[in-house]
Amino acid sequence: MIQFKALLGKEYKEAFRDKRALMVAMAMALLAPVMIFALSKTMIKEMVATPPIYVKVSGAEYAPKMMAQLKRANILLFSEVPEEDNYIWNERNIELTIPDNFAEDMIAGKTIDITLSTDYSEKAIRSPIRRIKNEINTYARLIGYKRLVVRGIDARLLRPIKIIEQDTAEPSSNAMIISMMLGLYLLMAAFMSGLSVAIDSSAGERERNVLEMLLCQPVSTLKIVLAKLCSASTISAMGVVLTLLLTSVSVSFVDLSKIGATFSLDAYSIFVIIVLLLPISFFASALQLFVSFQAKSFKEAQSTVSMIIMLPAMIPVALIFIDDKPAWLDWLPVSGQSLLMEDLFKNVPINWSEVLATGGVTIAMTVALVMVLARNLKSEKVVLALS
Amino acid sequence: MIEITNLAKKFGEVKALDGLSFTANDGEITGILGPNGAGKTTCLRTLYGLLKADTGSAIIDGIDVKEQPLLARTRLGIFPDKFGLYERLTAYEQIDYFASLHGLTGSNKKQAIEQVINDLEMQELAHRKTQGFSQGQRMKVTLAQALVHQPQNFVLDEPTRGLDVMSTRILRNYLNKFKEKGHCILFSSHVMQEVAALCDRVIIVANGKLAAQGTPTELCELAGESQLEDAFVKIIGSDEGVAA
Repeated sequence: MIQFKALLGKEYKEAFRDKRALMVAMAMALLAPVMIFALSKTMIKEMVATPPIYVKVSGAEYAPKMMAQLKRANILLFSEVPEEDNYIWNERNIELTIPDNFAEDMIAGKTIDITLSTDYSEKAIRSPIRRIKNEINTYARLIGYKRLVVRGIDARLLRPIKIIEQDTAEPSSNAMIISMMLGLYLLMAAFMSGLSVAIDSSAGERERNVLEMLLCQPVSTLKIVLAKLCSASTISAMGVVLTLLLTSVSVSFVDLSKIGATFSLDAYSIFVIIVLLLPISFFASALQLFVSFQAKSFKEAQSTVSMIIMLPAMIPVALIFIDDKPAWLDWLPVSGQSLLMEDLFKNVPINWSEVLATGGVTIAMTVALVMVLARNLKSEKVVLALS
Repeated sequence: MIEITNLAKKFGEVKALDGLSFTANDGEITGILGPNGAGKTTCLRTLYGLLKADTGSAIIDGIDVKEQPLLARTRLGIFPDKFGLYERLTAYEQIDYFASLHGLTGSNKKQAIEQVINDLEMQELAHRKTQGFSQGQRMKVTLAQALVHQPQNFVLDEPTRGLDVMSTRILRNYLNKFKEKGHCILFSSHVMQEVAALCDRVIIVANGKLAAQGTPTELCELAGESQLEDAFVKIIGSDEGVAA
């Protein structure tokens, strides 16, 4: 125990005194909240703002009230389009045709056919089309309600069922993109924050010729590996917690509900995420130590370990494209945590047995890595590579 | 006491050690001499338990290194061939670290650290970070951390390289003092005058085998030379080795 305390103390001292490496490690934590804040701001702006829409209307004179309603919603006639936007709106070519019998049919209570024609497959047109449809539908519904009220009927009769939406969809909406990015960032933080410490305390020590001296001491290699693992994963966990806290502060400045986000970073979700990612911190550091102890030099370690960072970036993205996810993805490291975080952000109740399963598998794999590494450090191959 | 018996080690086709045997006694300074590539470092690494010999044994104070490497290492103070320092720690912290690795705690540890710092006259360096230390200063820190737990056996691989005259004298006095106290000191060097002046017995290793052993005077007589250096060259030059 005295030995382990000494080993650990030394690792922490070295890790925390390397200010530059520490700063780089924590840069990830600072970057994520800023990115997420900026991204959600632009998304909200895009979604909530109502830029003018210019529609080629034929027969506007037959429905002056409806046109007035559209105008209030910033949906304007093509004749009013400013010079610089003329080309775009001409290209988009949104046509609205109002029949000449509009007023007549309205009085008679018949259904009036209004034609809205454009290229519906065009992505840029989707939002204007949605707004136009919404406005016309609202206008029509309002008239319908008024007709019922005039006849003494409660308009609520028209809505026997009200749907409360709970989004369990694949991440496609803007809010999901933000929460997915946060999940990705957190996984990246777990993998990146401890990186420099892991390389420095393994390949770095070998290059500085201090590893041989340590291996000559009456200390078991298991203790050496564990001390290095603890120090690297502490930094990694710090990165995760810092990312989380700063993000929760930064998103509190944005009203995510405006873009239909159903998640919030409250104390409970922060707690769940930390429980999920703590084993990942250990796993990532163990993997990095394992790889960089095999490397012959600091440089080689750096380049191979950088490949490992691809893991948290690739796996969650790959998961999006797998429609029928096999069950083992739920408890494999990184993919399990990634899927559970997705559930959390979608407001789906967390399946704690899955949390335990994926955490357990992650820790088991970490233990396996540590054992193999401790054994490797005793092998002659490692000693011979010392000089 | 360190007993090396019939040690053999092959790396592929290369025979690094070929039946090397010698004994380093308590209360003596034993010098180990050999040309580059003679197998000195392999022999010492086997002694530390880093390498496993194909045949033969290394026994420290009656403990077989192969069987109980950790226990054997507690009896050793090691100054390795290649050494580095933890550059973000102070000299004191490094010595403290190694003292703790050897199980020292509390006031015992503090006393041991103070002692070794005083003995090696490095009070001024103690609380400075070791980054930017000169070669001699780095040597001292490494020596201090190897010796802080007052091991029964010291193994020093060329400890005087880079040391100035004053520091070399300090080290020499220090080693002599420990010899008086009955410690076993195994000392490798390329500086013949130093070996001649310091060592009670000299072991000459060539081609992974013992080429000769004896006091410096005995070796000179054996080779029929007046200088140890000439004797050394003559002895390693002969293929058969001159057993003493």
